[in-house]
Amino acid sequence: MTFARDRYGVAIVGAGIVGLFTAYHLRRAGAGPVVVVDRGFLSAGGSGRNGGGVRQQWETRATIRLAKESVAAYRRFGTEFGYNIWFRQGGYLFLADTAAALARLRTVHDVVRSEGLGSRLLGPEEVGRHVAGIAPGAVVGGAYLATDGTLYPFPAVWGLYETVRALGAEVVLGADATGVIVRDGRVAGLATSAGTITTPTIVNAAGGWSGEFSRRAGLDVPNVASRHEILATEPLKPFLDPMVVRPSDGLYFSQTMRGEIVGGVTVPHAPGTARGVPSSPRFLTAMARALVDLLPRLRDVGILRAWTGFYDDTPDGFPVLGEDPRLPGFVHANGFGGHGFMLAPAASRRAAATILGERPDLDPAEFGPARFAAGPGARAVEGLQLG
Amino acid sequence: MRRFRFGRGARSAPDGATILEALTDARLPSVVRSVRYHRPRAPFCGTGECAGCLVRVNGRPNVRACQTLVRDGDRIDAGNAVPSPRFDLLGVLDLAFPHGIDTLRGFRRPRFAVRAYQRVVRRLAGYGRLPPVTASPPPPPEPRDLEGRLAIVGAGPSGLAAARRAIALGVRPIVIDRGAIGDDLVGADRLGRTAATVLLPPRPGRDEAATLLGFDANGAGVRVRAGAVLLATGSYDAPLLFEGNDRPGVVTAELALRLLRRPLRPPFRRAVIVGGGARALELVTSLGDRTSAVVSAGEIPPELVRAASERAVPLYPRSIVARAHGRSSVRAITIARRGSGEDLELSCDAVVLAHRRLPHHPLLFQAGAEMRWEPRARAYYPTLGPGGATTVPRLFAAGSVAFVAPEAARASGEAAAELALGGDPAVPTAWPTPPVDEAWGADYVTELLGLPRRGKWVACPCEDVLLEEVEAAVARGYRGLEVVKRYTGLGTGLCQGRYCVPEALAVLAALEGRPPEAVGYLTQRPPVVPTPLGALAPFAGAFGQEVVE
Ligand SMILES: Cc1cc2nc3c(=O)[nH]c(=O)nc-3n(C[C@H](O)[C@H](O)[C@H](O)COP(=O)(O)OP(=O)(O)OC[C@H]3O[C@@H](n4cnc5c(N)ncnc54)[C@H](O)[C@@H]3O)c2cc1C
Ligand code: FES
Repeated sequence: MTFARDRYGVAIVGAGIVGLFTAYHLRRAGAGPVVVVDRGFLSAGGSGRNGGGVRQQWETRATIRLAKESVAAYRRFGTEFGYNIWFRQGGYLFLADTAAALARLRTVHDVVRSEGLGSRLLGPEEVGRHVAGIAPGAVVGGAYLATDGTLYPFPAVWGLYETVRALGAEVVLGADATGVIVRDGRVAGLATSAGTITTPTIVNAAGGWSGEFSRRAGLDVPNVASRHEILATEPLKPFLDPMVVRPSDGLYFSQTMRGEIVGGVTVPHAPGTARGVPSSPRFLTAMARALVDLLPRLRDVGILRAWTGFYDDTPDGFPVLGEDPRLPGFVHANGFGGHGFMLAPAASRRAAATILGERPDLDPAEFGPARFAAGPGARAVEGLQLG
Repeated sequence: MRRFRFGRGARSAPDGATILEALTDARLPSVVRSVRYHRPRAPFCGTGECAGCLVRVNGRPNVRACQTLVRDGDRIDAGNAVPSPRFDLLGVLDLAFPHGIDTLRGFRRPRFAVRAYQRVVRRLAGYGRLPPVTASPPPPPEPRDLEGRLAIVGAGPSGLAAARRAIALGVRPIVIDRGAIGDDLVGADRLGRTAATVLLPPRPGRDEAATLLGFDANGAGVRVRAGAVLLATGSYDAPLLFEGNDRPGVVTAELALRLLRRPLRPPFRRAVIVGGGARALELVTSLGDRTSAVVSAGEIPPELVRAASERAVPLYPRSIVARAHGRSSVRAITIARRGSGEDLELSCDAVVLAHRRLPHHPLLFQAGAEMRWEPRARAYYPTLGPGGATTVPRLFAAGSVAFVAPEAARASGEAAAELALGGDPAVPTAWPTPPVDEAWGADYVTELLGLPRRGKWVACPCEDVLLEEVEAAVARGYRGLEVVKRYTGLGTGLCQGRYCVPEALAVLAALEGRPPEAVGYLTQRPPVVPTPLGALAPFAGAFGQEVVE
């Protein structure tokens, strides 16, 4: 594919959920012309490889607020974007396997409640009412929020793709953004494998490759790509409503509308994107162990397939949103770790707002790209990561 | 004799019979309904890959009837139907939605009804039910763990020849096959009725063993570590796209032949055989007067003409299989004569697909072996050095998965075994390749897509994805197999795309106007076939920390 023009108001690198939502908010506000470039196929990145979990239970108020706004956006998605994302609010059930883990859930629960959400702390029996067949002694308690849920990521991508194009944004697939053209210390254009375009503003929404792209622009950023694996089982009749998560080992799983159990568990991999996205026996066996130990009756359920994607991790667990002070015109919308899908609607709106010159309602100390320069100080950390 | 219960009825079966064989009595058992439209389905492949024979055995969901032996006292239930697969009330869905149910864009409005839609759709989806929660689940079957110098996957002609060669060289090979392995193979560790589903090759430049993981017929985990791995995984009967191709009675040659071998009453008397090559000849010979016609896309070779005329079987060369009729079992097919466009209805009680073989290559992809598109066969095969070395260290391939002709299968197996064990076999620069009937190629598909349609054309039976949906995706600008898969769900079902992707490649090539190799392919990921969690769990922690490179 090639570019329809040679001059754009905004060029967005990455046609994942974040890039497309950013394009949407920009076009809605009349900014333009907007082009989104992606070197892969649609949904090739994390947006086509995730677990579809959407939760509002977080350690920090800032993340909870973004998540709440995003839940509202996903509830509206079907009527606004023409595709059914099957956002099913079956709840998120956090499991604690030790007293210490339970204490942490209690702390989270207090923050979540103080943001006006009706999370509940559960004893082992109540946990058993949500998830039948948990092995005796595996759980000492849990926390539950009924309005969390799961969705199908793909139709969200299709709906946005079609909508942004209908709103006049261009989406150029198969174009690798290779570098940034800088003039007078600020962004002047974007070099791609499909040609160079002139633009005063570039949004780095490259997901797991955002660190790579920032570095191509000469910016030193702390983003680290980490490989995360996930699997799906054979489809079963419905037996599980909530997404079940266990922070102690990063286990998460839910049952999709199609009946498959989809989930993962933390298995450390070497950082970086160099090794591609193979699936490993180490993950398959670890996930099998975790599921069977927690729910013995899953023993005969077959693993149907596994796949892999990249998290885009930041040192403090918060995304990076806003213009990079070192390179005016270069806007970050990245660093979403393992939760970019659920934050995308709200976070992308903030990224777009920066470009539209609106007053940001986020604390730059928490989300701005300059925060890392100060080193790890007394800043808040969003530590409730899974997978 | 084994005594078991099927639904409410008491049944018996001869020793050593699979559940499928035990349930086949002059009629293919209909044990499952399809996921979206609750169309009646019956076994299709006979090799444990399609979604046509899933039953529940003693509470275990999604058991493949064709792969599982009947045991005394088994309680077997059909799945995904109310009250039974033959009279499933939800079958009305199929009739009520002739153009399919749009789960991508439908069910969005009104917003207050969304929760109710979700509940209904959820209940319709999925195959098996989980076993009930019990206080003390039976102990998991003991895993098996083997080590050796050479592991051979596949005990067909090339795999067995390779095993014998290894034994002759003083090595005890580990031989793994999804089916039974004859006990005449002495001197090998035989893992029959075992599926090898995950392959981790040794990393380049490292002195480490390759690891295979899998499971046996009891759901027990199996791990094999070997200095070298030889993949002789063979080939399988290709699917064919036509209207009603998912109807009970449309079966692969493999399943038809299996159902003839046993002392049971074969489930067909008037089978239409589709294909014009050696496989079709094998069927005509084996089925004898149970054959009602042979239909082929191209010309029919003299040997097949002779075999057919000896049995007074009519031949229909230069024809397109357009439509299968019948709901709970096929009763006729319509063929379109190529060129003339004339339609012909042939009555039958089975349609046997014997037109094309495809390589069983997922383990090769998984291992990261370089694969090449073979334009004549329209399939991917491994790039091999002489003797069968793949591009992955200590990974070899032989036989039909390596695009070797049947008459050279044994020799290719022997050579690969010798090479794998460090020998230097004398090999030809290239093995003869299997015959390919190119009449089933791109032109056939283009003509097929132009035929009138009356009912559903199911492009992916596992997920009930319709041809219309594939066409709509392309029309909306979604291009390439990877994206169309994600858009429609095609290829994401129980068979992992084995019975839809080959045809989808041809369809997308035609719709997108580019060659099939440009349409892309699905990444083949582990496991090759669904592998029980309980089979893999025992090996957790056995793979150490990944070395940071
Ligand atoms: C296994 C797994 C499970 C997850 N589970 C969840 C979950 O349950 N809930 C949740 O909210 N999130 C989850 N996530 C995280 C979520 O998927 C991501 O945070 C989110 O999809 C990121 O979206 P994105 O648009 O930023 O990036 P992506 O979707 O990765 O898109 C980035 C795009 O940029 C393109 N690109 C990169 N570099 C260049 C370049 N130089 N030139 C051109 N194009 C380029 C890529 O091709 C890609 O398409 C999970 C992630 C993984 C891997
Ligand atoms: S037919 Fe099995 S996945 Fe498509």
